Amino acid sequence: MLRLILARLLAMIPTIAGVALIIFVLFSVIPGSFASALMDDGRGAMDPEVAARMRAALGLDDPLIVRFGRYMRQLMTGDLGTSFRTGEPVARLVGQRIGASLELALAAMGFAMLIGIPLGFYAALRPGSLVDTLAMIGAVSGLSLPKFWLGLMLMYLFAVHLQWLPSFGYGGWRHLVLPALALGVSPLALLARTTRASVLDVINADFVRTARSKGMSETRVVTWHVARNALLLVLTTVGLQFGALMGQAVVVEKLFSWPGLGNLLVESVFQRDIPAVQGSILVLVLFFLVINMLVDIAYVLIDPRIAVQAS
Amino acid sequence: MRAMSTSNTSLAGLAFARRSMPPLRWVLVGLVTLCAVVALVSPGRAQTTPRTGGVLRMTAPYGSTLTSLDIHTTPRAQDGIVAKVLHRSLYAWDSAKNVPVLELAKSVSVSTDGLVHTFKLRDDAYFHNGRKMTADDLIWTYTRLMDGTKGFPGARFVRLIKGAVDVEKGQAKEIAGLRKIDDLTLEMTITDKVNPGFYFIDDVTAILPREVVESGEMLTKPVGLGPFKFVEHVPGSRLVATRWEKFYKPGKPYLDKVVVLIMGEAAARDAAFRSKEIDLSILGPAQYVAYQADPALKDGIIDVAEFFTRTMGMNPAFKPFADKRVRQAINHAIDADLIIKRLVKDKAVRASAWLPAGLDGFDAAMKPYAFDPEKAKKLLADAGFPNGFEFEWTTSQNESWGLPIVEAVIPMLAKVGITLKPKLIEAAVLSETITKGDFQAYIWSNSSGPDPVASLKRFHSATPHTAGNYVDFKNPAYDKLVDEAAAATDAAVRTEKLRAANAILYDEAPVWFFNYNKAVMAYQPWVKGLQRNATELTHQYPEDLWVEATSPAQ
Amino acid sequence: MAGRANLWIGGGLVAVAVAAALFAPWIATHDPVLDANLMLSEEPPGRAFWFGTDTQGRDIWSRVVHGARISLTVGLVSQAMNTIIGTVLGVTAGYWGGWWDDVVSAFTNILLAIPSLIFALAIMAVLGPGLGSLLIALGLTNWTFTARIARAQALALKSQGYVQAARVMGYGDLAIMMRELLPNMAGPLIVIATLGIGGAILSEAALSFLGLGIRPPYPSWGSMLSDARDNIRVVPWLAAFPGLAIFLTVLGLNLLGDGLRDLLDPQSRSRQP
Repeated sequence: MLRLILARLLAMIPTIAGVALIIFVLFSVIPGSFASALMDDGRGAMDPEVAARMRAALGLDDPLIVRFGRYMRQLMTGDLGTSFRTGEPVARLVGQRIGASLELALAAMGFAMLIGIPLGFYAALRPGSLVDTLAMIGAVSGLSLPKFWLGLMLMYLFAVHLQWLPSFGYGGWRHLVLPALALGVSPLALLARTTRASVLDVINADFVRTARSKGMSETRVVTWHVARNALLLVLTTVGLQFGALMGQAVVVEKLFSWPGLGNLLVESVFQRDIPAVQGSILVLVLFFLVINMLVDIAYVLIDPRIAVQAS
Repeated sequence: MRAMSTSNTSLAGLAFARRSMPPLRWVLVGLVTLCAVVALVSPGRAQTTPRTGGVLRMTAPYGSTLTSLDIHTTPRAQDGIVAKVLHRSLYAWDSAKNVPVLELAKSVSVSTDGLVHTFKLRDDAYFHNGRKMTADDLIWTYTRLMDGTKGFPGARFVRLIKGAVDVEKGQAKEIAGLRKIDDLTLEMTITDKVNPGFYFIDDVTAILPREVVESGEMLTKPVGLGPFKFVEHVPGSRLVATRWEKFYKPGKPYLDKVVVLIMGEAAARDAAFRSKEIDLSILGPAQYVAYQADPALKDGIIDVAEFFTRTMGMNPAFKPFADKRVRQAINHAIDADLIIKRLVKDKAVRASAWLPAGLDGFDAAMKPYAFDPEKAKKLLADAGFPNGFEFEWTTSQNESWGLPIVEAVIPMLAKVGITLKPKLIEAAVLSETITKGDFQAYIWSNSSGPDPVASLKRFHSATPHTAGNYVDFKNPAYDKLVDEAAAATDAAVRTEKLRAANAILYDEAPVWFFNYNKAVMAYQPWVKGLQRNATELTHQYPEDLWVEATSPAQ
Repeated sequence: MAGRANLWIGGGLVAVAVAAALFAPWIATHDPVLDANLMLSEEPPGRAFWFGTDTQGRDIWSRVVHGARISLTVGLVSQAMNTIIGTVLGVTAGYWGGWWDDVVSAFTNILLAIPSLIFALAIMAVLGPGLGSLLIALGLTNWTFTARIARAQALALKSQGYVQAARVMGYGDLAIMMRELLPNMAGPLIVIATLGIGGAILSEAALSFLGLGIRPPYPSWGSMLSDARDNIRVVPWLAAFPGLAIFLTVLGLNLLGDGLRDLLDPQSRSRQP
């Protein structure tokens, strides 16, 4: 097990280096600059000398290759650089946002799993029933809505109309509910569908039929064989969904003024705070890789045979 | 005196108006005053004594972060909202009189040549760390801003002080034009005969305590001279500040606490305002209409014509635009009034020329270009473009001075034979594209006040393209008028020169004159003491704000 | 059972959207850009304007049907790019194996780790708003799943007898990939592509919301919906029709994808993107 974890951790290094290279190149050719973004509201003409000095102070006048060398050296020592915008270390900016991001991602995923998996299970055990049909129609519909639109509707319904929940802001579970719902709907739909399909696959598999014919009770069949095997397939979806979730969080965080990484990332792109952009993307990527490593470990825990295959 | 709900305000406004208004407008002014008085004594506004205590939930609507807590590094309007809470500059804006007034000094004496200003500083101004402000703090602040190795946006204001440029170039350590007479007396020698109030009012020149900046604490726990002291900043979410007990204005601030909520998304602000989670919200055109139509909200709207002029700049290097007749034709071909009414929902004031209403030199009698497609066609034909031409219009996505406006103009120009191709770029690229001159036409909103001379200097041929003369305007008669206005000692002469210069801009039409922004803010019924700040409506001086006990915020 | 219904309902919805796109110039009652009359802005749906008019005074019905062209182009072209990239990389990696497989796998892992919406946002910021940028941004960032499936299929198929036989008979690699491998893995790839088209349409809407969408004045559903969001209380029809168009089209694509999966790839119900 330890060897598996170590191997997976080592395998992350080239991936992260690759990501770092891609985003560095991408953001070194981006039009616009931090100085330009600073004056976008037209409040005052930026003095050209000041703008030039700003560029020099930020090290933007050095050749690309020099900047890349500097950047990689920094990364190797765990330094994410200094934000153009605030002048603080990017690690600090990112660190301030991770808590909120995790909170939202876990709440959304928790909500999706809590409802999606049982729903999929239930639907699979009664294929063709009204519940099955409605659940699956709901799931496809949930996958077909633009996220910001769904969020806006939730906001007007629950905050303005019913006044049950705050419409925005950070702090306390009440503020978490609406963004988590908006973000959780599509993983919920996917999980319900995946679970249903996996369970159906497993139910029809030979070993379950064998177990049934041996006279195992239905409950035991379901909990023992079906649940365990279906869960493996569901786990894969959960792992992959986390990546998509972090992406979609960008939209939800912006809408609900949620102070997460996605919000920092988008604002940093618009303000051309390149070190902050790179830092937030790297942290999001790391987050995704770790989640998938955890999923792999869970795999092994559920079904030790996989460990053999993996090594 | 900034509170707009006191009668002194309208009297002050009257006194101000007296200076330049023709007799006919007296009637209007009288009517306005009458209305104000009626409004004051009418029921519903009964409580006029400010209540002490309570919390105000402001919003920072221009994006989803603050730029930096070191206010010297950011000129953005978003950060100015926080700056008014935490910081103070030498001057402040008097929204009632539309002039800069002394803030950190009790008096100033000016030499006869107008270049040496001696400030008697307040003896009761304390930083939030308890230290008393002295002349050294001003000197240190202005010297910091001239640090040539950093790009402080405030440098362009401080450069007014004699010797500041030498510090910027690294040729001097100290600004020669700043002299400390004693702890509370500062002598400032400036290079041009201007009102320094227009320079040392900006948030990027706020007076900061050296020890806090140098320790690096300013970025996380800012300290200033403002009416509220910093409590916490949740990046991307909110900034909280609490009453500063040693603030220098007696009895102020009224509020116990100010929360600045960072909310870039207009639709989300709308939801939050309707569910009474925020007390102040800036409105876009769509919401302006919605709020005016809603009986529950329509009484909580405050607006002001801001000193921002929205124009389409035309690049004279692009052949058609080199001809004055083509530029005039564009001004005639676009129905700006219709766009303002239907698209901008009257959340703007039609621009006649560059100078906005409320500034010295603005000519109320000047009629904007009339919408006249036939005349436009004739002008185009005279200029040698009887079949029109095609041009590319660089724009951002901004709802008030961006894409929607350009889209509305497309069919209007099509009717006179001009094909318009919008070129959409990000806001972060816009200013760079324009300063580089990489456009045929652009649309932008530019600050056109509060100093009318500085505002018109933008089009002076000595002003480099990168410093604001984006349309490379060159007109000797204009230059002369602006120079004379700057040098004028007599107010009437100055006004006359400014008017004449503004009229040349009108005739030469280097830009399409679109509108002056009308900023609109919604406020909850319990919020009092709001100021019509024409430099930026969201920049409320929070020590004058108070909330009634009915506020649900705690 | 449900598979057939999915196929028919999904196919029907998609067919409507495609028909709107194809026949837009004939079924639109107005020009979507030039027929703007500010005097008639924000007219509610009625006889003159079936879907009402927008803030610019343009006919929403005409913009929605013309928007179908843009939105479906975005979906189809970007998904075609993803499918080609993913298939080429996946098939060659699976079939050739060796160092190339390692390279492709490493590259796939890198791309998989960057959330695709964020990657697309970065590309849009670099290239600037516009249709071309959008096609590139969405067409380069969503092929990892296709590549994985194609690789797995190629690995499985290459040891099959008929592929071995083709090799013995002296067919070149290219011929084998085109004639033996591709036809046998087309089913799952078509399913992924169908679902991906819907995903691209939604991504376009998300990018519009973030402020990096298509270049106007030509309408896309995403930009219409995003522009309408400040107005939903006063002028609900601004958002309702493009919103409905997105919802029904993406729903149709998802149902169609499900139906195709049941038809073409029945053994892999659980393998979903």
